[in-house]
Amino acid sequence: MRKFAFAALLVFLGGAFLPGFARDASASIALEKCTLCHGKPEFRKLLVDGQIRDLFVTGDTLAGSVHAKKVCADCHFDVSEIPHREHPKRVTCTHCHFKGNHEGAPQSDNVLAYFDSIHGQAIARGNTKAPLCQDCHGSHRILKAKDPGSKVARVNVAETCGKCHMEIYAQFKTSIHGVALAKGVAEVPSCTGCHGEHRIYSRKDPKSSVYATHVSEKCSSCHSSVKIMGKFGIETEQVATYKESFHGVANQFGSRTVANCSSCHGVHDIRPPDDPLSMVNPKNVPKTCGKCHPGANPNFAVGKIHVDAKNKESGIIYWTAAFFKWLTIGTMLALVAHIFLDMYGRTKRLRGER
Amino acid sequence: MSRADLAAGKVIRMSLLFRIQHLILTVLLTLLAITGFALMYHENSLARWIIEFEGGVHNRGIVHRVAAVLLMANLVYHVFYMLLSREGKPELRQLFIVRQDIDDFLQSLRYNLGMSKEYPRFGKYGYKEKFQYWGASIGILLISFTGIMLWAEEFSMRFFPKFILDLALIIHGYQGLLGFVLLYLWHIYNVHLHPSSFPMNPSWITGKVSVEWLREEHPLEYEKLKEEGLL
Repeated sequence: MRKFAFAALLVFLGGAFLPGFARDASASIALEKCTLCHGKPEFRKLLVDGQIRDLFVTGDTLAGSVHAKKVCADCHFDVSEIPHREHPKRVTCTHCHFKGNHEGAPQSDNVLAYFDSIHGQAIARGNTKAPLCQDCHGSHRILKAKDPGSKVARVNVAETCGKCHMEIYAQFKTSIHGVALAKGVAEVPSCTGCHGEHRIYSRKDPKSSVYATHVSEKCSSCHSSVKIMGKFGIETEQVATYKESFHGVANQFGSRTVANCSSCHGVHDIRPPDDPLSMVNPKNVPKTCGKCHPGANPNFAVGKIHVDAKNKESGIIYWTAAFFKWLTIGTMLALVAHIFLDMYGRTKRLRGER
Repeated sequence: MSRADLAAGKVIRMSLLFRIQHLILTVLLTLLAITGFALMYHENSLARWIIEFEGGVHNRGIVHRVAAVLLMANLVYHVFYMLLSREGKPELRQLFIVRQDIDDFLQSLRYNLGMSKEYPRFGKYGYKEKFQYWGASIGILLISFTGIMLWAEEFSMRFFPKFILDLALIIHGYQGLLGFVLLYLWHIYNVHLHPSSFPMNPSWITGKVSVEWLREEHPLEYEKLKEEGLL
């Protein structure tokens, strides 16, 4: 009886290689085979560095994930022998996830974007610590990014990035963006909000969304929106006033050394100005400005930094600008009037002579 | 006045040194206006083109500052020349604003409006020339203060709070605009495009004007030269 069952199994397995034929049957069998060992809760491995690697997998492991209909061998296709003679390789997601695939995997170029990114480039250079798809998206419990339970969901992605970028994660968690994220504010950016998702580049790479000349554009994508900022009582004129300032103009014309938003407000540690730890707290302004302007003193904190000469709230600056505007207009009118009077008088004089 | 000049009916109005100073002033002010307004109106596409042409904002700043230093040097030289030289001293005396200038201005207004038949009779420099001269000189002096303040921003901020520098920036820009308007509207019209000299008064190149022009536009100077036997 057992012999017969084995023969039947072989027939079914053979069928598995013919596309579209008896697929479900073969799948369940493959899963059963794996769970013979992996289904035991104590099935784990002690690694050389002392860490324990849990190898426990059951039929429910993929349930609920985007790969619920897949089976072990769909991804671990290099496993052909039990027990495995060779250490199974890390899963290659690009086996299915490429544009034009026939597997029904999402049709996107994200994988190409990833390979161009700093993470993908590090992998290409042979850095084994650099993240592959599964390091961010998870391995068996992969959910859609929109799903709040996903490791790459906006609310979770900082923690996911923080697995490697620990110090930055610690800074971010106490920053205004990090605190708001923890409170569940829907508009606040997490790591990917500024750095991008698959297209993450070094900040020194001109392709990066946080490159010196792109930072202000990135911040202003939210901070110039009255709709978003209005909810939190934050002014939006900062974007326009920066663009009008010496810093902003130089930045728009490609200067990489001139101050951008993050030079003064911080990067991952952005805090509101009334926070004593904020780089733009009046007490810290001399130090912040002093990074570029040696010898900066408390004078740097006297008066508004983001000044709008067209806004009445700017006080004396608004009134001086208005005074000069009308002085110039008045002078121009007076001069033009004088010119026309002179021409009129002169024609009269010439006529008289004639 | 040389014999050849007199035979051709010409009188010298600007000596070579003044012509050189005038030319330097023209070139530098134009350069300063181009580089300055490109920054002031940096959102304008022409301004963007100018900044790119000058090699970016950094180089634009260098051009602007070099021109400014030369302009200040030109002004300092001019002040010393007017105060100390044999040619400058009498010129300066003729440039002082006196009661007569105000009367002349009012008289010309009355005349142009048809309230009087007498057109004022000017000396070598009428109220229009004096207004331009002092306007340009004092203007350059004032704009230099705000300019230096903004140039040496780290130094100025040792003494002044930030809003004073914001103010300096506003004043510098608008004063530049005002000066530009005065020069390119008023001066160009009064000196060059004016019907008496159209299309231009050649004295800024040749230094000479015609005797008829002098008699017509600056009769007192004409009579003075005649009395001195120079004509």
